[in-house]
Amino acid sequence: MKWLRNLLDKVAPTFEKGGKLEKFYPIFEATDTILFSTDERTHSGPHIRDSIDVKRVMILVVVSLIPCYIFGAMNVGYQMALALGQTTTWQENLLNGAVTILPIIAVTFASGGFWELLFAVVRKHPVNEGFLVTCALIPLVMPPTIPLWQVAVATSFGIVIGKEIFGGVGMNIFNPALVARAFLFFTYPVRISGDKVWISGPDGHSGATALAIPAAEINQDAVTLLHSVSQFDFSWINMFMGWIPGSIGETSTLWILVGALFLAVTGIASWRVMVGALLGLIGMAALTNFMAEWTGSTNTMLTLPAHYHLVMGGFAFGVAFMATEPVTGAHTDKGRWVYGIFIGALTVIIRSINPAYPEGTMLAILLMNAFAPLIDYYVIRGNIKRRLVRYAQ
Amino acid sequence: MNNISIKRGHDIRITGVPPKEISSIPGSESVAIIPKSFRGVKPKLLVKEGDQVQIGSPLFFDKTKPNVNWASPANGSIKTIEFGPRRVINKIEITVEGSDAIPGQSFTSEQLSSADRVTVLNRIVDANLFPLIRQRPFNKVANPEEIPRDIFISAVNTAPLSVDLESVIDSDKEAFQAGVTALSRLIKGNVFVTSKNAMDLQNAVVQTISGPHPAGNVGIQIHHTKPLKPHDLVWTVDTQHVIILGKLFLTGVYQPTVVVTVGGSGATNPQTVSANVGANIGVLVSNQDLSNPVRLVSGDVLTGKKVETDQFLGFYDTSVAILSDEVDRPFIGMLAVGSSDTKYSLTNTFMGFGQKLFKFNTAQNGEERAMVPINAWENVLPMDLYPNALFRAILAQDIDEMEQLGLWECDDEDFALCSFACPSKIDVGEVIRDGLDLLEVEG
Repeated sequence: MKWLRNLLDKVAPTFEKGGKLEKFYPIFEATDTILFSTDERTHSGPHIRDSIDVKRVMILVVVSLIPCYIFGAMNVGYQMALALGQTTTWQENLLNGAVTILPIIAVTFASGGFWELLFAVVRKHPVNEGFLVTCALIPLVMPPTIPLWQVAVATSFGIVIGKEIFGGVGMNIFNPALVARAFLFFTYPVRISGDKVWISGPDGHSGATALAIPAAEINQDAVTLLHSVSQFDFSWINMFMGWIPGSIGETSTLWILVGALFLAVTGIASWRVMVGALLGLIGMAALTNFMAEWTGSTNTMLTLPAHYHLVMGGFAFGVAFMATEPVTGAHTDKGRWVYGIFIGALTVIIRSINPAYPEGTMLAILLMNAFAPLIDYYVIRGNIKRRLVRYAQ
Repeated sequence: MNNISIKRGHDIRITGVPPKEISSIPGSESVAIIPKSFRGVKPKLLVKEGDQVQIGSPLFFDKTKPNVNWASPANGSIKTIEFGPRRVINKIEITVEGSDAIPGQSFTSEQLSSADRVTVLNRIVDANLFPLIRQRPFNKVANPEEIPRDIFISAVNTAPLSVDLESVIDSDKEAFQAGVTALSRLIKGNVFVTSKNAMDLQNAVVQTISGPHPAGNVGIQIHHTKPLKPHDLVWTVDTQHVIILGKLFLTGVYQPTVVVTVGGSGATNPQTVSANVGANIGVLVSNQDLSNPVRLVSGDVLTGKKVETDQFLGFYDTSVAILSDEVDRPFIGMLAVGSSDTKYSLTNTFMGFGQKLFKFNTAQNGEERAMVPINAWENVLPMDLYPNALFRAILAQDIDEMEQLGLWECDDEDFALCSFACPSKIDVGEVIRDGLDLLEVEG
């Protein structure tokens, strides 16, 4: 790689202060330091430093998404074949799926990268690696049939309104990838909800997501209803494995768990948020199941048990990769528990109490993003009170 | 005896650990004191170039506390007095000629235990050694006119590559005891001493402390013993300076020697040496091969200052670190798998297990970024406070909030590990220091 290093060193003066392309220094700097780690030395504070940096944090989040990408591509291909009544090998599924999702990925990175670089150049700040994560997440929460222009618009909205206007990664209030998805959900609902968008194929095959099945019926038992569907196998284990219609990367709870475990072990994502969300989900689902039994409600969603909530819709994906985003979540460990529990509980509430929005996780996380500073506020007040008690001794 | 157990923190495993045995090195031809390095001190000279001084003669005093003088750490003549911009006194350098010290009153241990406050205080002030005593909050030279609540001495060094204080105390047990006794005469409160193992010590409250760095920092000791309240005042004295004070009382003269470690990943011959206060760095590293690019640090690798061989050991420093200054640029380094030879992280983001020592260099390992709160700071700060919230209160210059969040108990050195671990490469200690400066002026 010596030639590449030499090339970068050769063009460096053009971008440095006084050079012709001085304005574009952030772009050069980003390319240079992504290709070759920086050799910046410590100049203030400790003379030695930990090997971790934000680039490593962000790239590992992208790495943790790889299983979801591969499985997502396979499942898109599989659903296509299923709708067309073809029998295909997994290689064919992977290939067909990849052909569908690669343009979505390309458009996301192109539009996300454009805005990130533009802001870096105009605002004269370094390119922040966070956009890699945002752009890696967006395709996974889109239906495979999403029009590419909508992907571009949503990514732009997510990056600009969700992040850059606050000052970039580290200053944003809402998870930019979720902002992008929420933007599409409320502006172009036809292409991201309903039962016509989850299977890509030649002429728009219909197939509802698992969550839409109990949400559409009244006075039934959700599990029985799911098992009675003949078009798809909505058994728990099949939904856990992820061979069901849905957004590209959200269907397989198994592979999401693999990514989540990786993030928790590396310490990048807070396991407290994940466990908290799971507890919140279990608690609230128990409550809704109890309500279904004792209040005589006709709401079928109320009868859905917790372990089905876990494997349906975007819950697992949202909790593992979106709720754990360190900047927009709670910043204190105690706060992370509360934040997680509320996300789990709110997901069930939104899904069951208002079945018009079966995708409760996205809204629950965005809502809790807004409340995270308040949660931290109370945790920190607790610390201050404890200190005052100590002072009084 | 009470034990303080520290859970959060980290002992950095760096190569070049010096052995405990003291090796001999040549004496410094010249030594120096750096007046501008003392926080909040307005130095006024008492000597001029060419003057003859003895060990213990006053070199300068602090205009804000006129009875606090700085003692000469050597006998000889003033070689140079170097001024910086706006007549800041950069350095007073003394050519060493002989070892005459100004004689003074000595005490037996019985006399010392029954001496009154004024006698003990005047002896320290008259010997020009009061700057050895520092105060918290703000970690600056104390004021002899004030009476502190307690005095804290940490007899444990947990900083990387630091002097093993247990063996230092063992070889000067009597002087350490005398120093502690003298300090105990100065206050109504207690002299608190923390040590690694139980210690038989009179006139002090001894506690053991266990756990990783920063367990040996005096700020952590105070926090876990009797935390500072707003407008509280305590004094702190380094263990080796307690011994210097003890010797002053027992023998009547100032003996300006300290045990200093020379080590680090760039040290070819890590050693522990006995050196003059303010010794020349070049002499301290004279047994090292410095042909590869290295950075020399006076003080420990987390909180020390970068120095060159023609400069001098800091007044409160007892270690010199040598770090390799060669940093390479691996291709697609951010995707590296990593091993215990190439990466060192408190997170599990690289492969690499075990307790192997690591050859650190001066690489920052990344660029400065906005804060990404993944608990990097919290995991290495054994204090009951929220560093993240405190950091933001300081950036916002919100003094009330800083006070409430516990800034009175903080010092930048306790946050050095936070900066070490920070993925965003933020110098947390510097911000804490800014907050303390603001608090001192306006609080």
